Amino acid sequence: MMARFPLLYGNLLCLLLALLLAAAPLSGARAQDIPRLTERVMDTAGILPDGVKSRLIAQLAAFEDKSSDQLVVATIPTTGDWTIEHYANLMFRRWGLGQAEENNGVLLLVAVNDRKLRIEVGYGLEGTLTDALSKLIIDETIVPEFRAGDFPAGIQAGVDNIIAVLEGDAAEMQARAERNERWIEPDDLIAIGFFSLFGLFFGGMIIFSILATIFGKKIAPGRYKWLGVQVSVSSSGGSSGSRSSGWSSSSSGGFSGGGGSSGGGGASGSW
Amino acid sequence: MTAVEIFSKPVRPGAIVALLLAVLTLSGCGINAIPTYEEQAKAAWSQVLNQYQRRADLIPNLIETVKGYAAQEKDVLTSVVDARAKATSVQIPSDVLTNPQAFETFQQNQSALTSALTRLLAVSEAYPDLKSNQNFLALQSQLEGTENRIAVARRDYIEAVRKYNTELKTIPGRWWASWFYPEAKPMQTFTIDAQSREVPKVNFD
Repeated sequence: MMARFPLLYGNLLCLLLALLLAAAPLSGARAQDIPRLTERVMDTAGILPDGVKSRLIAQLAAFEDKSSDQLVVATIPTTGDWTIEHYANLMFRRWGLGQAEENNGVLLLVAVNDRKLRIEVGYGLEGTLTDALSKLIIDETIVPEFRAGDFPAGIQAGVDNIIAVLEGDAAEMQARAERNERWIEPDDLIAIGFFSLFGLFFGGMIIFSILATIFGKKIAPGRYKWLGVQVSVSSSGGSSGSRSSGWSSSSSGGFSGGGGSSGGGGASGSW
Repeated sequence: MTAVEIFSKPVRPGAIVALLLAVLTLSGCGINAIPTYEEQAKAAWSQVLNQYQRRADLIPNLIETVKGYAAQEKDVLTSVVDARAKATSVQIPSDVLTNPQAFETFQQNQSALTSALTRLLAVSEAYPDLKSNQNFLALQSQLEGTENRIAVARRDYIEAVRKYNTELKTIPGRWWASWFYPEAKPMQTFTIDAQSREVPKVNFD
C-alpha cells in the first residue's frame, strides 16, 4: 500500500492559491501614454500627409519582407517627463520591434514639440547600424530638413538612409532573412519528439492505472490486475490540477512587433 | 507487455502521479522563483559590467584624439585617465552584489569616471577644430550611446533586483528561502546620486 501524502493536499491548495493570485490583474504597468502599435508609421503627432505615410508604410513593409528587419517610424508631440532616450527604449520594448530571435528592429522616434529625435536600434543591428552611423544619419540628413520645417522630407530621408545602411551589409541581411524563414528548426523537432514520447510514457501509465481500476480484477483492497499487470492504487482521490495558461493573442488585425528588444543602442539629436 | 512491466515489483502508478503532482504544485508555488530571479539579476548585472567595460575601452582613443587638439587641458585629461584607472584596476569581489561596501565602492568609482568624462566633453566644446574632427565626432556619439546603454542596463538590473528582493521578503518566497535557500541574500541596487538627479538649469539672462 502506499503511504498517504498529507502534504499533497496542502500543495493542491497552494496551487489553487497561486492560480488565483496569478489571475489577479497585473499592476504596475507604467502605461504612461505610449500608443498601441497598429501600423509601421505611427504618426501620433500628425505631421505626415496621408500620401507620404502610405508610401512609407509600403516601403517599410517591402523592406521587412526582404530582410525581416522591422523599421518603425513614430511621431509624438512630447516625451513628457522622460528623456527621449528613456521614452524610445520603453516604446521599443513595449512594441517588441524586430524578430524575437534576432532583435532586428529599428525605431525612428520624433518628439515634435520637444524638437528632439532618436534612432533606437535593437540588439541585433547594433553592429550594422552603429551609434556613430545613427548620429550621422540624424545630423546630416534628418536635422537639416527638420530645420527647414519639412518633416515629411526629413523622415523620408532618414528612412532611406537607415535602409541603405542596413542593406549595405547585404550578406548579413540575407542570412538574417533566411534564418527567419525557417519555421521549425531541426533541433526543435528532436525536442518535440522527445517530449511527446515522455508524455506518452507517463500519460500511458496513468491512464493504464485508471483503466485498471475500472476494467481490471480487484485482487486486494486498492490492488487491481488487468491485462496481466498488477496495479496498486492509493485511496486518495486522483484530482489533477489542469493549468490553462491563457495567452491572449492581441493581434488587432494590423501590424505588430516580432518580440525583439533593445538595450539602448542608437543615437539622439535635436533641431 | 506494457511499460509497467519493466519494473520487477508491481509499480504503483499512484506514487508516480503523486510525484508528478508534487513537482507541479511545488513549481506552481514558486519553489523555483528564488533561483530563477537570482540568475536573472546576475545576468542583468553582467550586462551592467559589460557596458561599463565598453565605456572604459573607448577612453584611450578619446584621450588620444583630444590630446591632439587640446593638450593644454592637462588637468581634465589626467583626471579622466586616473578615474578610468581606478574604475578598471579595482578587483571587483565576487560577492559584490550582496556586499554593500563593495557595491558602494564600485558605484563611486564609476560615477567618478562619469563626471570626469562629462568635464572632458564640456571643455572640448571650446576647441572648434576638435569639434569638427570626424574621429572625435564618432567617438563622442559612441560614448553617448554607451552612456545610454549603461543607463538601460542599470535600469534592467534595478528591476531584476527589485523582483528578486521582493521574492525574498514576501510570503511564499520567504518560506522557500528559509527552507531551501538559506544562503540567499538580498542584493544591492543602484541609487541615483544627487548630482544626476538635479535637473540642469539653463539661464538666458
